[in-house]
Amino acid sequence: MNEPNPVPPQVPPQIPPVMASGSLRPLGDDPAERVPIPNIISAIDAILRHPRRVMFQLRQPGAGRLIAMMLLVSIVCSLIYGVVVGTFSGGAQLWAAPAKIAVGLMISALICLPSLYIFTCLSGSQARLVEVFGLLAGLLMLMTILLIGFAPVAWIFSQSTESLAWMGTLHLVFWFIATIFGLRFLEAGFSHSNARSHAGFHTWVVIFLLVAVQMTTALRPILGTANTFLPTEKQFFVSHWVDCLKAPAAAAKPGSPN
Amino acid sequence: MIMRAPAEKLNPREIGTLLRGELATLGGWIEQCSLRRFALHVGVIILGTGFYGAAMGWWRDPQQALFTAIKFPLIILLTTAGNALLNAMLAPLLGLNLPFRQSFSAILMSFTVAAAILGAFSPVMAFMVWNAPPMSPAAVSGATYSFIKLANVAVIAFAGTTGNVRLFQTLARLGGSKAIAFRVLVAWLAGNLFLGGQLSWILRPFIGSPGLPVEFFRATALHGNFYENIFQTLLQIFND
Repeated sequence: MNEPNPVPPQVPPQIPPVMASGSLRPLGDDPAERVPIPNIISAIDAILRHPRRVMFQLRQPGAGRLIAMMLLVSIVCSLIYGVVVGTFSGGAQLWAAPAKIAVGLMISALICLPSLYIFTCLSGSQARLVEVFGLLAGLLMLMTILLIGFAPVAWIFSQSTESLAWMGTLHLVFWFIATIFGLRFLEAGFSHSNARSHAGFHTWVVIFLLVAVQMTTALRPILGTANTFLPTEKQFFVSHWVDCLKAPAAAAKPGSPN
Repeated sequence: MIMRAPAEKLNPREIGTLLRGELATLGGWIEQCSLRRFALHVGVIILGTGFYGAAMGWWRDPQQALFTAIKFPLIILLTTAGNALLNAMLAPLLGLNLPFRQSFSAILMSFTVAAAILGAFSPVMAFMVWNAPPMSPAAVSGATYSFIKLANVAVIAFAGTTGNVRLFQTLARLGGSKAIAFRVLVAWLAGNLFLGGQLSWILRPFIGSPGLPVEFFRATALHGNFYENIFQTLLQIFND
């Protein structure tokens, strides 16, 4: 009945779960979170359905590949959404808008990365720079994927309205909703890094939002048209928005009856 | 997206299951989508909203009835398709881990319930229109027009509410939480109403003004949008 020399069952090497502060469930306690993310499709699926898997994988050796995949998805998705933005004016904006949105988004993230890392450290977090960078890349990916979800709605409105102010507001609302979900991911990742306080993180969120909206003014026109690719005069985003709202007739779609 | 089940036949009795809200069966349908059931739901949407649209447009002109019979189902199907990706992304982000085809099926089911109700009310609406005086500027300013308009609003609101109640119950069963189901439903509703409102604006008219010609699209269909129009109307009200 009994085997004389029983072979012990093969047990896979156990990766210790990453402990988090407070009552949070530690990352990696669910075996599904330990499954590596091999490709872009898995990365998209993971950030939508299992964000903890992305957070756990960002703490493992070789996280650079995952970060590169997330950045690539962000760039491709922002280019696609940019084409939809460009359809409002057509012509050169069909390539200028995607280029400006993709570049603007990446530059905004790069500008804000050092301050995010500093605030993370000041909050007592143990996160390394690569992990912070990965979480920021996750924010960008989730944000731009959601923008793709909004793209059909944005396109319908682009084809049926002439008001630049209206379309600008609509795109800002879509961007804002997408950013909220992205920031939720970032904050969840931040919560698992033993941070004592979230005050620094919330300050950084304000900085990031301000930088991103100012970037849209610095790279204008993104939605409308102009004689030059980039603006010739500096302007604060609030005054730019007020100018757009004050001149609805002038700020209409090219070729529209208005 | 949809698993093929060519051996099965269309079973119109399934619409009764949908209307009764037999949650165990509906949950199974969502988890195991079939092309046959997908075709049945699309067919009910086309027929139900098509008949109701015809009854709506008939008062203005038989040609308007045909146009509205085409346009009403188009709005439902374009809204479902246009927001499919967004809705599929929002569900897991709000706590309900549904794959794309399941969220698509759930929304299509809720529209199927609404369309079945609208289709069932289309003879009543047609009877009301048949009893109404021919549409003219005088009729538009009279009580009959107001009554028919209110009846349309009541029927469409009832159909929409019932569809969404069924959707909420199904989501609550799939997700195991009423709070999560409510969050997802509100997000889906907001997106569908936003896109659906604009599609209705583009595809207007549905009944048609007696002073304007019968046409599939207005010449100004792609000028302006639904929400700009509401905003400008509000401005006019407050400026007068």
